[in-house]
Amino acid sequence: MTRAGKLCLALLLTISGTTGCWNLKEPDQLAFVLGTGLDLTKDGQLQISLQVAIPSGAGGGQESGGGTKKQSFLVLSTTGKNVYDAFPKLQAQLSRNMFFGHRRIILIGQRLAEHGIDNQLDVFLRHPQAELRSKLYIVKNGQAKDILSAESIFEPFSATELFHEQATLGLKSNYIWNILSDALCPGLQPMLPAVELTDPNQIVYMGSALFNKQEGLKLSGFLDAKESFYANWITGKITDYTLTYFVKQGNGTVSLKLHSLGRRIRVKRMDKQRIKIDVLLSGAGDIAENNTNLDPTKRQDFQIIQDELRDSTRKSVQQLIEKVQKQCKTDIFGFGESVHQQYPSMWKTLGHDWNDTFPKLDVSVRDDLRFKHSGETNSSVKSML
Amino acid sequence: MMKLSGSQLVWIIVTEVVAIIWINITPAVLISKQDSWISILVAGCIGAALTFLVVHLSMLHPHQTLAQFSRALLGKWLGRLIVLPYLFAWYTLSAYLLRGFPDFLKPILIDRTPLWIIMLLLLGLMVYLPYSTGITGIGRFCEIVGPIMVFVLVISFIINAGNANWHHLLPVYADTGWENIVKVSIRPAYWFAGPFTLLVIVAFMKNPRKALQKSMIGIGITVVMAVTATLMVLMIFGPNLAAKIRFSYFIYVRTIDILDFVQNLDIFVIFIWVFGVTAQLSLYLFVATYETAQLFQVKNWRKIIWFSIPGIFIMAILIPDETIIAAYDKLWVSVIFPVCGIGIPLLLWLVTVIKRKLAY
Repeated sequence: MTRAGKLCLALLLTISGTTGCWNLKEPDQLAFVLGTGLDLTKDGQLQISLQVAIPSGAGGGQESGGGTKKQSFLVLSTTGKNVYDAFPKLQAQLSRNMFFGHRRIILIGQRLAEHGIDNQLDVFLRHPQAELRSKLYIVKNGQAKDILSAESIFEPFSATELFHEQATLGLKSNYIWNILSDALCPGLQPMLPAVELTDPNQIVYMGSALFNKQEGLKLSGFLDAKESFYANWITGKITDYTLTYFVKQGNGTVSLKLHSLGRRIRVKRMDKQRIKIDVLLSGAGDIAENNTNLDPTKRQDFQIIQDELRDSTRKSVQQLIEKVQKQCKTDIFGFGESVHQQYPSMWKTLGHDWNDTFPKLDVSVRDDLRFKHSGETNSSVKSML
Repeated sequence: MMKLSGSQLVWIIVTEVVAIIWINITPAVLISKQDSWISILVAGCIGAALTFLVVHLSMLHPHQTLAQFSRALLGKWLGRLIVLPYLFAWYTLSAYLLRGFPDFLKPILIDRTPLWIIMLLLLGLMVYLPYSTGITGIGRFCEIVGPIMVFVLVISFIINAGNANWHHLLPVYADTGWENIVKVSIRPAYWFAGPFTLLVIVAFMKNPRKALQKSMIGIGITVVMAVTATLMVLMIFGPNLAAKIRFSYFIYVRTIDILDFVQNLDIFVIFIWVFGVTAQLSLYLFVATYETAQLFQVKNWRKIIWFSIPGIFIMAILIPDETIIAAYDKLWVSVIFPVCGIGIPLLLWLVTVIKRKLAY
C-alpha cells in the first residue's frame, strides 16, 4: 500500500510539472496592446483599431546616441462584424500574439457614438482575460484611430498619456466597469470624458459626451470643459478644478484653485406626484490670482469676493442644468437615482417615464464655497501701481 | 483513531463555505439587488439553524457517524437505505466541484492546459490528504488554510475600500421586500449549512460536547465574511452591474488598483483558493468513502478511495457543459438539501428522542 502511495506521489509530481507550461509565453512573444479604438466607417462598418507597443522603439535612454528614432508604436485597424470578429484579422498582421492585459484606454469615435454603443460593450467584460482597468474616452469630431495614431508628448504612447490625463484633470477614475455600472443604473445617464484632435495634431480634453441609454446608448450631446466640471461636480466625479470669475465690485477677475469638492442632492417631496431637487455644492479653494481692487485679507473685501463667487457659481450651475434639461434631455446628474434612493415608493411610478419628467424637474442650487487661503499677497499688485 | 480538535472543526467549516463565496453572491444580487447583503445575512441565520440541527443530532450519538447511528436507530436495512442519498450527494458533489473549479480556472488563467490535467492534479491532492492521515490531516490543513483565506478576504476588502460607494446600497429594503429577501436567502442558507459533512466529522471530535459551540463560531466567521463580500461587491459595481457578473467576487478582486501599481491580485486570490477547494474536495472524499465503508462494513475504509476515485473522475469528465452544472445546482436546492439536510436529520432526531423517552 505505501508503495502505491509513493507511486502516486511520483505521478503527481510529473503532472504538476506539465500544467503550467502550456501557456508559456515570454514577453518577447507578445504584442502588447495599449489602446483599442472603435469607429464607424463612412459606409457604416465597424472599424476596430489597436495601438500596439513596439518595445525596441519605446526603450528610453539609448536613443540619445543619435541616429534615426524608431517608431514606438503601431496602429492596426480593420473592420469586423463585432469587436472580437476583427481580432483574428488584426492578429494576421502581427507575428506576436496580441496581449490585452496592459490595455490602458478604449476610444470611441463620434460617428459610432451617435449610432449607439450598446452592442460594443459586452466583449470588454465577458472575455475571461478582459482588462477592466481600461479608461474610456469619446473622440469628438474625429475617429478613434486618429487619436491612437497621434504623436504623444511625454510618454512613448498616446494611450498611456490619456490614461493618466484624467487624474491630472482632477477627475475620478472612469474605468470601463464604472461606466457599465452607470449605464445599467436606471436613474442615471452615462457621461463620458471626450477628447479631440486639434489642428497641429494635439490631443486635447474637451469636456464630456452625454449618452442616452433608452436609445441604445446613443450620443446625445457634448458639454465643454467648464460645463463638464460643473456636471462632474454634481455627480461627484471630480476632486479639484481651477475657476476664474469676474468680480463686479472689484472690477477685475479672481482665480481660485478649488479642492475637496463635494455635493449633496436632496429630493423634496412637494405633493403626491411632484418633487423638487435641491443640489448643495460644497468645496474649498485658495485664491491663485486676484486682479480686482479688493484685498482679500480684509474681512469686508473677502466677503465680497466670496459672495460673488457663490453667486456666479450658482448661476453657472443653474444654467448648465437648464441646458441639459432643455437640450439634451438626459439625466446625467443622476437625479433619478437620488429619487430612487430617497423616495423608493415614488420612484416606482416616476421611474417609468423619467426621461419625460427630467426636463420638467424643478431644481434649486445652493453652494457653499469657502476660501481657505488668500495667497501670498494682500491686495492686487495692480492697485499699487 | 483519527481525532479532531475544536478549532479544527471551526476552520473546516470556514474553509468549506468561504471557498464557495464567489458563486453565491450573484444569484442573490439577481433578485434582491442592493438588499442582497440582507439576504445573505438571513441565509446565515437559517444556515446556523440547520447546522444546529445536524450538530445536535450528532451530539446525541457521540463518537458515532451517520451510518453507525442510523443503523442503530432504524435497524439494518432502513438504516442503510437512509445513508444512500447522502452518498449520492457526496460523490456527485465531489465530481461537480472537481469539474467546476477547473472550468472556472481554465479560461482565466491556463486556457491551453487540457482540462483533464488540471483535474488529475486536483484529484491527486484530494486523495493524498484523506489517504495519508484521514480527517486529522484535513483538520490540520484547514487550520492553516482557513485563516489564510479569511486574511486574503479581509485584505481584499480593505484595499478596495477607496473605490467603494455606499450610495449603491440605497434604498435599503424598499425595492425588495421581505418576501424576495427570504426567497433568495434559501439557496445560500443551504451552502452555509454545508453539505451535511458535520453528521460524520463531529464523531471524530476529541471533545464532542464542544461541537455545537465550535460549529456556531465557524458559521459566524463565514457569515461575516460572506456579508462583507456581498457589501463590497455591491458598493463597487452597484447592484445592476453586480447582477450581470457571474463570479462577482472574483471580478471584484480584478478591479483592485492601488497607485497604478498593486494590480492583478486575482492570481494571488486564485492561488489561495486552490487550497480551499482542495480542502473541500478532500473532506467530501473522506466523508463519502468513510460512510461507504461503514455501509458495507468494510474494515479498511482507505480501500474504498481507490474504487471511488475513478468514478468521481469519470463523472466529472462526463459533464458536457455548464448548463448541467446549473441543473445540478437546482437539484441540490430543490431535492438533495431538503431531504438530506432537513428531512432525514429531523427524522433521525425524532426517532432518537422517542426511543430515549421510551427507554425510561
